[in-house]
Amino acid sequence: MSAYYRNNGYEEDPEYSDSSRSRNYTQGYLKTRDYSDSPGPLNNSDYPSTRRNPYSEDSRTSPDYPGFLAEPDYPGSQSDPDYPRIRSNPYSEDSRRSSDYPKSLAEPDYIGSGSNPYRPGSSREPDYSESQRSPDFAGSRSSGNYARSRTNPDFLDPMGEPDYPGAQRNSHHPGLRANSNHPGSRGNSEYAGSRISPYRDSREQPDYPGAENEANSPNIFGEPDYPGAENNRNPSNFWGEPDYPDAEDGPDYGSSETPEMTREFLSRTSSIRPSFRHGDDGPLGILERENEGYPGSIEMNSMEMANPYGRSVPGAPGTGYVNPAFVGESSLGPAYGDPPLSGYDWHKSPEGQKLIASLIPMTSRDRIKAIRNQPRTMEEKRNLRTVVDREKSKQPRGLLELRCCARCLNSVSLAYRRSKNSLSELLNSVSPWQKTLKVIGGKFGTSVLSYFNFLRWLLKFNIFSFIVTFSFLIIPQLTMAEKNTLQFTGWELLTGAGYFRDTVMYYGFYTNSTIRHGPSGASYNMQLAYIFTIGACLIVCFFSLLFSMARYFRNNFINPHIYSRGIAKLIFCWDFTVTHEKAVKLRQKNLSTEIRENLSEIRQESIKLTLHQWLLRSSAYLAAWVVSTGVAVACCVAVYYLADNNLQFLKSHRNAGAVLLLPLVVSCINLAVPRFYSAFRLVEHYEVPRHEVYILLIRNIFLKISIIGILCYYWLNMVALAGEECWETFIGQEIYRLLLMDFVFSLADSFLGEFLRRIIGMRFFTSLGLQEFDIARNVLELIYAQTLVWIGTFFCPLLPFIQMIALFIMFYVKNISLIVNFQPASKAWRASQMMTVFIFLLFFPSFAGVLCIQAITIWRLKPSADCGPFRGLPLFIQAIYSWIDTLSKRPSYLWVVWIYRHLIGSVHFFFILTLIVLIITYLYWQITEGRKIMIRLLHEQIINEGKDKMFLIEKLIKLQDAERRASPSSFTQERRDVEVRPEAAWGSL
Amino acid sequence: MGNKQTVFTQEQLEAYQDCTFFTRKEIMRLFYRYQDLAPQLVPLDYTSCPNVKVPYELIGSMPELKDNPFRQRIVQVFSEDGDGHMTLDNFLDMFSVMSEMAPRDLKAYYAFKIYDFNDDNYICAWDLEQTVTRLTRGELSAEEVSLVCEKVLDEADGDHDGRLTLEDFQNMILRAPDFLSTFHIRI
Repeated sequence: MSAYYRNNGYEEDPEYSDSSRSRNYTQGYLKTRDYSDSPGPLNNSDYPSTRRNPYSEDSRTSPDYPGFLAEPDYPGSQSDPDYPRIRSNPYSEDSRRSSDYPKSLAEPDYIGSGSNPYRPGSSREPDYSESQRSPDFAGSRSSGNYARSRTNPDFLDPMGEPDYPGAQRNSHHPGLRANSNHPGSRGNSEYAGSRISPYRDSREQPDYPGAENEANSPNIFGEPDYPGAENNRNPSNFWGEPDYPDAEDGPDYGSSETPEMTREFLSRTSSIRPSFRHGDDGPLGILERENEGYPGSIEMNSMEMANPYGRSVPGAPGTGYVNPAFVGESSLGPAYGDPPLSGYDWHKSPEGQKLIASLIPMTSRDRIKAIRNQPRTMEEKRNLRTVVDREKSKQPRGLLELRCCARCLNSVSLAYRRSKNSLSELLNSVSPWQKTLKVIGGKFGTSVLSYFNFLRWLLKFNIFSFIVTFSFLIIPQLTMAEKNTLQFTGWELLTGAGYFRDTVMYYGFYTNSTIRHGPSGASYNMQLAYIFTIGACLIVCFFSLLFSMARYFRNNFINPHIYSRGIAKLIFCWDFTVTHEKAVKLRQKNLSTEIRENLSEIRQESIKLTLHQWLLRSSAYLAAWVVSTGVAVACCVAVYYLADNNLQFLKSHRNAGAVLLLPLVVSCINLAVPRFYSAFRLVEHYEVPRHEVYILLIRNIFLKISIIGILCYYWLNMVALAGEECWETFIGQEIYRLLLMDFVFSLADSFLGEFLRRIIGMRFFTSLGLQEFDIARNVLELIYAQTLVWIGTFFCPLLPFIQMIALFIMFYVKNISLIVNFQPASKAWRASQMMTVFIFLLFFPSFAGVLCIQAITIWRLKPSADCGPFRGLPLFIQAIYSWIDTLSKRPSYLWVVWIYRHLIGSVHFFFILTLIVLIITYLYWQITEGRKIMIRLLHEQIINEGKDKMFLIEKLIKLQDAERRASPSSFTQERRDVEVRPEAAWGSL
Repeated sequence: MGNKQTVFTQEQLEAYQDCTFFTRKEIMRLFYRYQDLAPQLVPLDYTSCPNVKVPYELIGSMPELKDNPFRQRIVQVFSEDGDGHMTLDNFLDMFSVMSEMAPRDLKAYYAFKIYDFNDDNYICAWDLEQTVTRLTRGELSAEEVSLVCEKVLDEADGDHDGRLTLEDFQNMILRAPDFLSTFHIRI
């Protein structure tokens, strides 16, 4: 059975037109007498069945659900909301009937209708035996149909109307059709139909649309649908019931009532329970409880009826879902499954069983993930878990010889899981500042928070790099350190020279010998350790960057084509992180402004610019670009000349402060120019704030990366070739100074600049107001510093440690400055998207550039002759070459040599590898293109089906009106006809 | 540690870990938060699964929820019988869904429920009005609100039936990358 469902759900998606299948059904049953008896219009009795399509529930509960989020069928499952309605209606129906029609036909119906929605699958109770409702029956039958339809020649017959199938398909319950006057059996049949109907489009069905939420006449919309749900019970009672709207239960009540009604209720409620005063949505349970004196106590009755009813369902306790107050709530539940069953019983339902069956073969990790992702209450999940575990442990018992093994495996996996849990706990406890981040998020929202998250992420990066270099480079070196004879004056902290030159901080201090303690101790080759440690650091950074970038891309650019700025997102993306009262108020205010702006934009769609305005604006853009590029180029030239003359300058000025000139100039540029760029916004008025941010980003990154590029050129092409003694240490010192200067400037900026700006904004020019946190600029500063650290790690292995401390301090400084000096942003930021961009920037110009620089250093440059681990070698990479040579003399290491010669060092291997990767990329690209087309088609299908639905509803209304005009005579007659007619509409289409 | 062991049995903790997105420590922290809300109501021993509910007034006064315009809806959606009174399980469920680790569709499902004020499985114009009013603290005029609702329905209603189904909603959420990070309550 589950296979059947899966087939329907996932395989026959769009190509396998449902309509064609449904048609087959018709054909298959055409010969049955009942069908021929029944007039054409009758077969649409199934129309409701499509609506409460159980299949969708299956898809919901199916463990695949998390994986298939993007799958087109997943959405289909939304249709099940109808399901509950069926359930809730019976309540009101029954109850109403029982109050209005005391002699109560309800009794027999009651059971039937009640358990029908309640336990769709478990209907093995004798009551159902005569109806086709038993799940087995439905299942087998449907699978039969399924098979038949597959073999049926008409199978591929392209029947256009997507909605149609539902109606037709159901014609395969001819027996029921014949009994159309027999309410009970018909309802059942529909039920059966619905069970097997694999049709996913039920969401388009008119269901009860108007009935509940649309002000326009619940009668018109609701009625045609109700037959399906209700016709177990005497439908005639139902139709035209004057109090029908009132009798609707909880959720419907709130919406379908006129506002006055609601208000009346509310006023009553509020007097008793202030907490719900403004909750127009106060659940009926409460309303009811408190509205004892309300004259229209039909609702009361209905609910009271419903309650015992719920209890009467075997196995379903009166609490939880069945509770009347929860009717409204639970009615959503079915979206994923079978809500009416309480947590205790849910897993016994067919859906639950199916879910369990599909969970069992999974690995424990997937299983937990699937269970976790179930949108169910804890109790249900827990029960599910126990049941699955029990089943799982039962399973291998059949294979006796495997039992021991399986048990062993089980315990191993359990132990593994436990250890993993405790490990993740440990890692979580490491992640610092949870509280601070919460405060920041509460006050400033997710966008500012993303800066701090980024900072924290970089900090973790640096901690990792530090741990690696510390354990593989610094500790071995410390074991054989010589006495440092240089004086420590304190000035070194700023320049990084002097005393620090002969410490583990710089490349030059490391030995080129093999470290060996004692005659028998293991040897440790410093050259190899150095090159491998730095390499491992970079590779790990590369992969973690790559993966986090991929994750962000996956989450945030699922489909960039459909990305548009819209009002809907403004409304449904309220930032739940914000918890500070003032921030919430401010945010609400900003949001309303933004909505207003958006509305005004919509009202006057596109303002046509006059030629004059257009010229003015484009010239402003052009001027801004020219000026910004000019400034950037000027800065680069300045840095270049400064660097060019720096070596001479240092030789002529021997005092310690001279080395600070270059870092000082660079930091000044980095501080001043971005602010200058930010001022451009006064000239260029970008309409979309996002554009402004992106352009600012482009300019800033261009500036910073070109400055770093020029500095690298200076280091690798001038310093390294100038014959300095130990040029690597010199470069390390330069980078240290740059980093330190940058850090000092940021601190000063936070303490002075931002503080002064606040004073100015508060005291002198109040029109300026408080400033907003400039996320782009701040993030770029972080990226700049991180780039320097990566470049410098080779020359100064302690640099990650220094950056670690700097980031740590920075976090607190920025945090304080933020809380004191800034106000929350007035524009909504696309924070997560910005984060993606930031990580991409960190990856692309920054990390990729660093890799190039390291490659040039290692493959092209000559290490200095008297210091560092590579002294005396012609190239850094020579260390590896000679290592391979040594290894090739030892037979036990030949595999390493083989790998090196044939894979790493081989051009052919890389050529073939590149070719394969290109082919795979191309294939994936093609697949993506195909998916895009598929998405478009499916989207069109949704729209078409929506149109179909609207058309059908219109037709229904027309028919109904005509019917009413034609035969105003008997109530019952009319209702029956109407009940038939809508179906006719479905059938004839 | 000894103290922690008495609150839950090992199995209970493991079940909680498997059913939520939390680590053991976070579960304990949440438990103590829960317990703090009503110290005289909630026992410190949960090994026998006592059926205790903390009333809505106390849950809604948590600083995480206090100022949230949707706090009542959130609590109702996650409470067992929709009246906002929460058991520990409901409480954990709520924060699990709102946690960072929860997948997009789980979040979208519950967000839909939260925005569906009248619980009819559709976000209709009335629900939207409620949402907008809450979001803007009534700063927009009635006309503007209805215009906004119209626009939203226009944008997101895939099948043009005048209201949003869960599917429409999820479709729209896909286009709003911020949703994952904003539908998130830190604890």
